[in-house]
Amino acid sequence: MRVRVRRVEGSPVVAVRLSLQAGAREEVLPGQSLVTGRMLAEGTSRRDWRRIAEESEGKGMSLESTGNFESIGVSVDALAQDWELALEWAAEILLDPKFPADRCAWTAKQAAAELESLADQPDVKTAWGFLEQLYTPHPRCRPVHGSVESLLALTPADCAAFHRRAQAHGILASVTGVVDEDAVRDRLTSLLGAAPSDVEKYPAPQAPVGLGPRHVISLEESDQAHLYIGHLTVDRRHSDYAALELLAVILGSGSGLTGRIPTRIREREGLAYTTYAQTTAGSGLDAGRLLMYVGTSPATVEQAERGVVEEVTRLVADGIEDAELEEARAYLLGREPFRRETARQWADLLIEAEEYGLPLDDFEHRKAELEALDRPTVEAAARRHVHPEALRVTVGLPE
Amino acid sequence: MIRRGSSGTRRRHHHHAALEAPTRLKSLPGQIRLERLDNGLTVCLLTNRQAPVVTSALFYRAGTRDEPAGHGGVAHFLEHMMFKGTALYGPGEIDRITQSLGGVNNAFTSHDGTAYYFNFAADRWTEALKIEKDRIERLTLDPEQVASERQVILEEIAMYESEPWDSLEMAVHERLFEGHAYGRPVLGTREELLATGGEALRDFHSRFYRPDNAVLVVAGDLGDDALDAVERTLGTLPAGAAVRRGPTPADVLPTSLVRLERRKGEVARMMIALPAPAGSHPDHPALRLASTLLGDGRTSRLQHALVEDEQLCVWAAADLSEGLDASLMTFAAEVVPGVEPARVEARVLELIAEVRSRPPSEEELERCRQMAAADWVFGHEKVHQQAVSAGLAMAIFDLEHLDRHLVEILATSTDRLLEVADRYLRPERGGVVGWSLPKAGAA
Repeated sequence: MRVRVRRVEGSPVVAVRLSLQAGAREEVLPGQSLVTGRMLAEGTSRRDWRRIAEESEGKGMSLESTGNFESIGVSVDALAQDWELALEWAAEILLDPKFPADRCAWTAKQAAAELESLADQPDVKTAWGFLEQLYTPHPRCRPVHGSVESLLALTPADCAAFHRRAQAHGILASVTGVVDEDAVRDRLTSLLGAAPSDVEKYPAPQAPVGLGPRHVISLEESDQAHLYIGHLTVDRRHSDYAALELLAVILGSGSGLTGRIPTRIREREGLAYTTYAQTTAGSGLDAGRLLMYVGTSPATVEQAERGVVEEVTRLVADGIEDAELEEARAYLLGREPFRRETARQWADLLIEAEEYGLPLDDFEHRKAELEALDRPTVEAAARRHVHPEALRVTVGLPE
Repeated sequence: MIRRGSSGTRRRHHHHAALEAPTRLKSLPGQIRLERLDNGLTVCLLTNRQAPVVTSALFYRAGTRDEPAGHGGVAHFLEHMMFKGTALYGPGEIDRITQSLGGVNNAFTSHDGTAYYFNFAADRWTEALKIEKDRIERLTLDPEQVASERQVILEEIAMYESEPWDSLEMAVHERLFEGHAYGRPVLGTREELLATGGEALRDFHSRFYRPDNAVLVVAGDLGDDALDAVERTLGTLPAGAAVRRGPTPADVLPTSLVRLERRKGEVARMMIALPAPAGSHPDHPALRLASTLLGDGRTSRLQHALVEDEQLCVWAAADLSEGLDASLMTFAAEVVPGVEPARVEARVLELIAEVRSRPPSEEELERCRQMAAADWVFGHEKVHQQAVSAGLAMAIFDLEHLDRHLVEILATSTDRLLEVADRYLRPERGGVVGWSLPKAGAA
């Protein structure tokens, strides 16, 4: 169990995040993490879902349990005066869920319906095709929901099994807000017991291989084409991660419509309303991706693709300018205070720091890390991790 | 301007007047100073040192409702053009400078107004003032940039039309407020955009983008010289805004529950919209609590019945907008595949009617009050959120609106809630039920 507590002045609130460190990347059945995570708040030994909802909402709390790619867990945002209840309820939900059959069937059905609804969104449908193209057979190749069929086949026993085994991967906790740090730490320690000793961790997921270089998704109803271009890059703990963050800003993930790709695709050529670039999209325990997105007219999708590929090629071949690097560095450093404004942001930051074993909460470390990156170092990282010849393209086109 | 005072000490001559306002609000953290500069610019300084950041947000009382006939979308088009070049800042340069200072900027247009904001570290926020000044004084509106940005907005329209919820919502608004500006799309139509060029943009800009039609909110870790910085830059701009049309209620609204159906996607989506009073109306806060009762949280009536108990919908929600001319109460739900849409519609209408026939107990009402209060606190933790709320309140209503509204929501009794429910939660007296139905079910 790893616990981080921090007093954050400001609004009189407390944010509690508790998680078990196994998620969809470990699941045996697609959708198992999502449904197990959501089922945590559907009933415990002590209370059914209705009572949990009534009691938490009666206190004005926002209580939510989730299952995602790397973890399942519970988050509670409450008024600071209710910090002790927030801790107790979060611990109860994380450690003592009962997975009642009727709620499990409904939660799975609800998730299946959500999946069908998401498939109605042309950009989402195309993004799924891109993930499949990059990650197959790694679990990241599919939505965290799994599929309608896999969801509807899940049972309470599947959830209970996943929950039990996820505990072997460890508990992370963060509590922030207008709280007494010592009192919170003491209470958490007494609430969160040791993990069961008779369960094994899940094995590591299969490595991604991907599909072919080009993937076309047919969109039944869309006035737009959706273009995703990229390839896999690095995981969150990679030593080049910060250099890739700078490259992302230079390409198009910074403020407003700055960056080479938005400047060319939107500002100069007027091809798109939404266009951006990322270099570590989804990086976590597994590799993230270089990702360039353009939502454009079907008539201009080829022009947009050409523009993106040319910009990526130019980045690697010609390198970057000193002024671009300084701007990108200033932007990333300037964002730091905005990542630390609220108790909820601090709670999420501390969980992430613990999850990856990185000093993300330490501003001085962040500053030193970014300031140490000069132009040759960033260009070398671009050559190592950005490969124009290996770009994969998924394009969603109206029928 | 500096002048020598009678005591012989150097004093600044202030070209502004303090406006009557509380120095603190119940609804927002921090200390408030409200001033009006000689040129009419309203300035709200909200000092709140929770983090070393500052948001500068400038609100113009000019939105879709203020557009001239034939140029729908010009307010939003102009918002885009405000980033496309001034005498001092070339196209894209405002974004580039913002980024090099480690900040972010953006803007939004609504039916009631347009807002521009910058979030910066506390030691460099005044750059935002220089940019805003040049955008008011010397906006370029280069024809090539206008043409290029028009294409971008046409793509924006295509994007919203492709999204099932966005397109349904626009169709429902259009039907409910037919003939009123609130029924027009903020982005305009393709035809209107093609008919809107530099001249229309310039005209809208010169009529409304003037200090006497604007509210500036600067919130966060402010120093003592914040007002001086504002006065030195924006205080020199001349007044001269056109008189804005006052609140104009929709004079023609549906007198029965009008139906609207379209086919899109694979999932059935429903939105019921009912006319509601303007945000400043005394009934609005109680109606807000009715919206919480119906659609906020798992224990709310719509979610509890439609999602958790009867399992007809993936989700269900209620919302209440807050407009200058009128507001809109909406009930939205996404239907579980296989469930008959008509069953969902009938059930939603029944639950709306039940607010009157099965009034909330004191316990249920208290839970709603707690949720409304907590939602407000969690929705205003960031300095940026505080600035936007204060600015919208002042641009559309007044600063005290925030406190008044929150206090009245929390003071709403069962009787008061029943009174407004009887007045507004009456779909049979007029409203729109819009459906986006699966294409697969089409005949």
